[in-house]
Amino acid sequence: MRYLTFALAKGRLAYKTLEMFERIGITCEEMKDKDSRKLIFVNEELGYRFFLAKANDVPTYVEYGAADIGIAGKDTLLEEGRNLYEVLDLGIGRCRMCVCGPASAREYLQHHEMIRVATKYPRIAKDYFFNKKHQTVEIIKLNGSIELAPIVGLSEVIVDIVETGSTLRENGLTVLEEVCPLSARMVVNQVSLKRENERISRMIRQLKTLIQQQQEVNQ
Amino acid sequence: MVITMSRQLLHTPEGVRDTYGEECARKLAVQERIRQVFRLYGYQDIETPTFEFFDIFKKERGSVGTREMYKLFDRENNTLVLRPDMTPSIARCVAKYYMDEPGPLRLCYLGSTFINRASYQGRLNETAQTGVELIGDDSIDADAEMIAIVIDALKSSGLREFQVELGQVEFYRGLVEEAAFDEETGEELRELIERKNFFGVEELLSRHSIPLHLRQLFLKLPELFGDITQIRLAKSMTSNRRALQAIERLEKVQEILDAYGLGDYVSYDLGMLSKYSYYTGIILKAYTYGTGEYLVTGGRYDTLLTQFGKEAPAIGFAIVIDQLMLALSRQKIELPLKRVETMLLYPSEQRTQGIALAKALREMNLPIELICMAEGTTYRDYIAYARRQKARTMITFADEGDTIRILDPMTDHMAVMSGDEYIRNIREKREYGS
Repeated sequence: MRYLTFALAKGRLAYKTLEMFERIGITCEEMKDKDSRKLIFVNEELGYRFFLAKANDVPTYVEYGAADIGIAGKDTLLEEGRNLYEVLDLGIGRCRMCVCGPASAREYLQHHEMIRVATKYPRIAKDYFFNKKHQTVEIIKLNGSIELAPIVGLSEVIVDIVETGSTLRENGLTVLEEVCPLSARMVVNQVSLKRENERISRMIRQLKTLIQQQQEVNQ
Repeated sequence: MVITMSRQLLHTPEGVRDTYGEECARKLAVQERIRQVFRLYGYQDIETPTFEFFDIFKKERGSVGTREMYKLFDRENNTLVLRPDMTPSIARCVAKYYMDEPGPLRLCYLGSTFINRASYQGRLNETAQTGVELIGDDSIDADAEMIAIVIDALKSSGLREFQVELGQVEFYRGLVEEAAFDEETGEELRELIERKNFFGVEELLSRHSIPLHLRQLFLKLPELFGDITQIRLAKSMTSNRRALQAIERLEKVQEILDAYGLGDYVSYDLGMLSKYSYYTGIILKAYTYGTGEYLVTGGRYDTLLTQFGKEAPAIGFAIVIDQLMLALSRQKIELPLKRVETMLLYPSEQRTQGIALAKALREMNLPIELICMAEGTTYRDYIAYARRQKARTMITFADEGDTIRILDPMTDHMAVMSGDEYIRNIREKREYGS
């Protein structure tokens, strides 16, 4: 049996994912040791390998087949635009991609004005403004603390992930438009899904049932 | 300063690479074996130019976006592109030179294709592709022949575990027609199904009102892959004539492939929907383990030649040699290589004998690396070189006359005999061996 290799986006999402996996019998004891300096974790018995990667890199690992399966946010999938099978919405890590700014900036979004947009997600921002809103904008790529940009006058608006909106409020910003909803997705390498059809399809089915059960509980 | 300058010159641009030594020998050996398979199926070589007018590869004919092509201008300011894909070139060529030949035409090619990719993708921009095109035959037998060639070609490279996956674009197009989706929606749905994005499909369908049986089938489509039973399942779910014909065609192809004895190499995916609009029927892809990408892609394109003014159905495929080589090396599959194993060394005063002996041995088809010893070098230098080259035999001349020394550089074992005797030995060995 060949290993099935999982690439998980580092951080909270990875732990939530592992909890879900555990409930369908995919376990990895090695990974629970938070002090471990190992980069790759193995469950020899079941033939699974896991590793943690930076979220943006997960689609890359999966596209090239270095990992068979990846868990990453919809935001990274959209931004990376890789050739993958996007088989499952895990329903965790829910948030929204939004255009935000001071309330006064709402005006800029009405008349196809040339404005500056700061974002960590240039591809998503470009697609939204060019193809959906048909507004030509100047995109400024930043790597963090995007909220700063409109405050200090680097840009008129920003495109960023909004969870609760508390950071925005504290800084006098507000959601102006929603680009799309986001959540964690399971992606599979195209060749892997075919080659390991049975194992992967079974896993997808089990996860689907689990997600449905959880949704019913929540309702 | 001079040294740093020349070091700078060593680099190749991003996306291209050198192939040399054993790797090059392996690549050529694989290409030759594949070409041999094409010949066995009766295909004839064709070569088209490396660059052509941009229009040949435009959207409705090409498989690569405009931005990903290498473009250049000729002296009259025409836009030219380095070919990103072979098929449109061959279609053009056939429409031009075989305008009145009803066919069938069986053509095969080997050449580089060029795609100007975004940086840092770890992918080559120049890749070798080899493949065939069968023009003027729209039969099921032609479909099956294509798949049989793919299988035999991959087998000839040494690959053992691989699958050829078949799809049928007509199946999906029939259903989209029935659902009366506009072009944009059909395209959006195609992308979702192709990405096996089940929930995306569900979400899209919830925005449109279509008959229940169609909704169920679209929802099922991303899952309809695997062996032939999967597509029989699809058959029971629709009464759409176009879709049913598509499936029946796949079933017949399977029957013919069973007759070839190759049925086991084939699987199906009805959710495999090429984004290239020139495909009109069966589409195929082949994969193996060790690489996460497809080795072979192809399909039927019955309307492409019409765009060049010739009414002719056609089907073809391309093997991406670089992907295949990667898979072979990851799977540690090595074909036996014919290496140059004999070196013949002569000092300049024995040039005549050296050349005569080399000529005699080459006439017996023995590859000889002939080396004239440079001034100030010793035998020892050349023995070290022979070892680095993994040569098996090193022939040198004794001081006078026709006597030669035959040295195995690895073991230092040495034999002494006359040149004639050596030639005789080789000839006997050949005859005995054959």
